Amino acid sequence: MPKINPKLKNSPAERAGKKLRVNNHKPDLEKTVMEKIKSGQIEMKPKWYFVAGSLFMTIGLISLTVGAIFLTNLTIFLIRKKGPGYGRLEMMLASFPWWIPVLTVLGVVLGVLLLKKYDFSYKKNFVFIVAVFIISIIIAAFAIDYFGLNDIWSRRGPMKRLYQQFENQGTTLPRGPGRGKNW
Amino acid sequence: MKENAILDSITICDMSELSKLTDEKLVELVRNKDRELYSEIIRRYQNKLMRYSRYLINDEDKAADVVQETFIKAFINLNGFDTKKKFSSWLYRISHNEAMNAVKKYHKEAPLDLDFDIPSTDDVEGEFDKKEIVQKAHSCLDLMPIMYSEPLALYYLDEKSYEEISDILRIPIGTVGTRINRARALMKKVCQK
Repeated sequence: MPKINPKLKNSPAERAGKKLRVNNHKPDLEKTVMEKIKSGQIEMKPKWYFVAGSLFMTIGLISLTVGAIFLTNLTIFLIRKKGPGYGRLEMMLASFPWWIPVLTVLGVVLGVLLLKKYDFSYKKNFVFIVAVFIISIIIAAFAIDYFGLNDIWSRRGPMKRLYQQFENQGTTLPRGPGRGKNW
Repeated sequence: MKENAILDSITICDMSELSKLTDEKLVELVRNKDRELYSEIIRRYQNKLMRYSRYLINDEDKAADVVQETFIKAFINLNGFDTKKKFSSWLYRISHNEAMNAVKKYHKEAPLDLDFDIPSTDDVEGEFDKKEIVQKAHSCLDLMPIMYSEPLALYYLDEKSYEEISDILRIPIGTVGTRINRARALMKKVCQK
């Protein structure tokens, strides 16, 4: 009669009548895994693979954050430039480049997913981290608008063409009070 | 310092010296010197992981598959392990993921009842002493949803700290405490019948 470890008494496996099989896996498991290692069937991934992975993840997160700030700011900029009072609402909506906020939301979602991959994210309240991430993006976008950086970028520098292109999109509508109305 | 000296002088035959090494130093040795020393890691953890996987899966053979897959994945990704962190938490995390995949694969969803909830009570620990909880945990873990049985098993049976459980399950430490507390209350409710 085999001796029963008192610690294992009444364990789920014991109740299922399988207690003694645990040790039967012992030599097999070690042997199987070690044979695969020795035969080269399984190989360790190289160090650079993990360094590159974490580097790309950091770059990706930073790019997504910067991109989300830029696109949010561009949305604010365009609303300010073409905002309420410009033509009819449906015309404004039709001429508004909707892909910008869509891309922003996509960037934020991807950023959140990347944040979740980081080790620290589960140590703190994840909802809090995401909320701070999104609020920071919005504040940064408004700050750029408040300090007029986007106005400067739209007049000079490498971003000038891009801003002007967006600014002029859909501006075929007639300007001025009363003009362009159908009645 | 002493461990570093051991690392430099060790040969495969120095099994007694090997057993003195921490997991993290042993991992360094496997990565940089001798892959075959990985067998020592398997020896250290196979029983613990078998027990852990069995609680999650309730099937001896599938649990053995999970443990084997855990050791294989751990070896493949060994260079991705940060030796400043705890190796056991990293290994248990891989095992947890593998077990969850197996649970999903074999449609044993019943214990994964995430909506299952019971109020947290703070004085449950007082009613059971630790020994009693360990004894009861053995007999009624599989009656509880995994979200409660898993932290309870890790805390009482594998003697992991709240921080380690937080690392393994990727949940905040506060949530670990809440789940263990609820698991104790659940144990009182369900397992004493």
